[in-house]
Amino acid sequence: MRLKRGMFSFFLVLFLVYPAVTHAIPAFSRQYQTSCTTCHNDFPKLNDFGKAFKDAGFKFPADDETFLKVPPTMLGSPAQKDQFPHVIWPGSIPGITPIGLRMNTYFQYSGQNRNNFNTLAGPPGTVAPFIPQTDFDAGFFSIFAAGNFGSDIAFWVDDDISVSGDNSAGGLGDGYLKFVNIGRFFKLPNNALHLRAGHFELELPFTQARSIDISPYDIYSQFNLGAQNPAFVKQQNVNNQFTMADGANGVEFSGGLHTGGYYWVVALVDQNTSGVTQSANTSVFIPSPTGGANGGVGFASDANFKDMYARFAYRFNLEQDRKSRHAIQAAGATGPRDHTYLTLGSYYFYGRSVQRFSGTDLVGAPAVLTAREPFYRVGGDFTFNYRTLQIYGLFMYGHDTNQLPVDITGTLVPLPLTSTSPAPVGFVHGTPAAFNGGFIQADYMPLPWIMTIMRWDAVNSGPDRINGLGINTATPFVVPFRSTRNRFTPGVQFLIHANIKASFEYQFRPQQFVTVVTNPITGLPVAVQQFRTNTAVAGLEWVF
Amino acid sequence: MKLKSILFVILVVLGSTQLCLAGTLSGKVSSAAGSVVWVEDPSSKVEAPAKPFVIDQKGLLFIPHVIAVPVGSTVDFLNSDSVAHNVYWTKIGDNKSLGHNLGTWPKGEKRSFKFDHPGVVPLLCNVHPEMSAYVVVVPTTLFAITDSSGAYIIQNVPDGAHNVSVWHEGMKQQSKQVTVNGATTADFTLTK
Repeated sequence: MRLKRGMFSFFLVLFLVYPAVTHAIPAFSRQYQTSCTTCHNDFPKLNDFGKAFKDAGFKFPADDETFLKVPPTMLGSPAQKDQFPHVIWPGSIPGITPIGLRMNTYFQYSGQNRNNFNTLAGPPGTVAPFIPQTDFDAGFFSIFAAGNFGSDIAFWVDDDISVSGDNSAGGLGDGYLKFVNIGRFFKLPNNALHLRAGHFELELPFTQARSIDISPYDIYSQFNLGAQNPAFVKQQNVNNQFTMADGANGVEFSGGLHTGGYYWVVALVDQNTSGVTQSANTSVFIPSPTGGANGGVGFASDANFKDMYARFAYRFNLEQDRKSRHAIQAAGATGPRDHTYLTLGSYYFYGRSVQRFSGTDLVGAPAVLTAREPFYRVGGDFTFNYRTLQIYGLFMYGHDTNQLPVDITGTLVPLPLTSTSPAPVGFVHGTPAAFNGGFIQADYMPLPWIMTIMRWDAVNSGPDRINGLGINTATPFVVPFRSTRNRFTPGVQFLIHANIKASFEYQFRPQQFVTVVTNPITGLPVAVQQFRTNTAVAGLEWVF
Repeated sequence: MKLKSILFVILVVLGSTQLCLAGTLSGKVSSAAGSVVWVEDPSSKVEAPAKPFVIDQKGLLFIPHVIAVPVGSTVDFLNSDSVAHNVYWTKIGDNKSLGHNLGTWPKGEKRSFKFDHPGVVPLLCNVHPEMSAYVVVVPTTLFAITDSSGAYIIQNVPDGAHNVSVWHEGMKQQSKQVTVNGATTADFTLTK
């Protein structure tokens, strides 16, 4: 019981504390002797030039060599290209180690209602986990490196050295090579085909890893936990830990540019059934082919199936001036600026989640039962940008096939399974577990150093609410009072310098509850006395 | 023939007189390269050269970083970069009403501006905030920019007492009276 209550508090704190992972690239500032604002409006948010820089493989889209103040170190004379294949194809590495560092720290405030959860502490005398009204918190200390190796091969690596002051809590963010414009080898149009391989955030409509917001998008952190409240007849054997914000191991083919026209992505990535990279998936009998010699310590996936992600978007640049419309940045009266544009996109993710149970076969012999449940996430997105105002939003629908365990008689085995549950022998299809939601956000910069933000998040999940009603069933989704969790998040950010930012965010959080009564008519639990635990957070972030 | 001889003699005399009355002002400025030194000579009329001065933008840099031009001169602002640039300044000297924005233009194009007011013009690019340069508009044709050692030399300075001013980026502008008599030396030590 205390564990469950502890989990409420844990997730509450986690939600408050967990900041968006953000990255900017001081390494490029050093190499090109230029300000962060060349590529970022409000770091790490890219402006049009920054998008073009990234599309080109972390270099200037044209005449890169004339901008580099630190020439690259050649790994072979360019003239050696004529000698290939009798020599290694000449490449280069950045002339200085392209490393950037980042740190952020936070101060957070939680409303009075946070104490309502103290009533869940247990019998009189039980000390509830104490949620302070105010709290200082160390965020991320991260290292990142990126650049270009020549031949249009770009690289990126970032890693959180410590999280919340814990040196061991960090992890790899992205680490990949991107082969830009490989379509040229097949005589395809320019930028028609790129290849990225490694560990990376999916090419989401709006990045979570490089968001300017302090708190993450709720829909990106939504995983599908089927309804498993014994008080309800409806049960779902779904425990899919996948979220769209997860990093993925795999390869990604893409084409087009982010600065205008089409952009498409198809990625094949490891199945990720637990929501985290399974670096400890080992076997003493079948060693990993990497043998531990190259960082491989096992198998990162526990299934043969590869998940698939696809996205297509089209950006309409709406500048009246035709010449400006096709330039990387629009020619404003007082200087280059972001285009006026409208982007429409859609995305689709297909995968399978895996659940394994100890059960029996049809003759009663112990057996491991495996449920492979196909799931998909599908949605659309838009972005409208006018000068320094940007409005964007995303909708997502999530759907997981539900395979319910049955016993030898074909009767559904009540969930969750306990030691006294009948042994499952197989699965039957039940009601799929579904959710939907999204967000709409408006960013406006009244001055080049002030970013104002208004965001609305919504996640609609019946299973989450049902699970919450069974207070004994831990739910990570702030004990939702209703099926839809709405959140308004106004914020403002100030660039103290181009590389130092002060951020403020106030979260009108979704309604929660701690009191459950039984409906005398239906006999089902009903939540009453809803409340909100609004929170505020202020952050300082700097990169160098 | 007689008239020609008289004119020749007059020219020789005038030339000799000029040589005697015009000197050379030279010296060193403590802030080394990029200092602008000019002789304020209210008596002479400033005639700006017909050929425009040029400031290029290349590799996210203004080239050169500092130029000095006589008042009334025209400066052509080029863009040799493959990215768009803009050029603006918020003031000329201390006069903020003279601020101006030349707009945005791509590679290969240029914008020109005639500077009719003396003063220091701090050039900026509003999309590349690290870029900066200076046009020092001087009310005279008697000026020079110091070389890498801080040395300068101004030719044809009329003999006599002159107010000589020195400007350098980030330093306090300095003026002092210098009496020029032939080859004259005047050094300056600037402070922040």
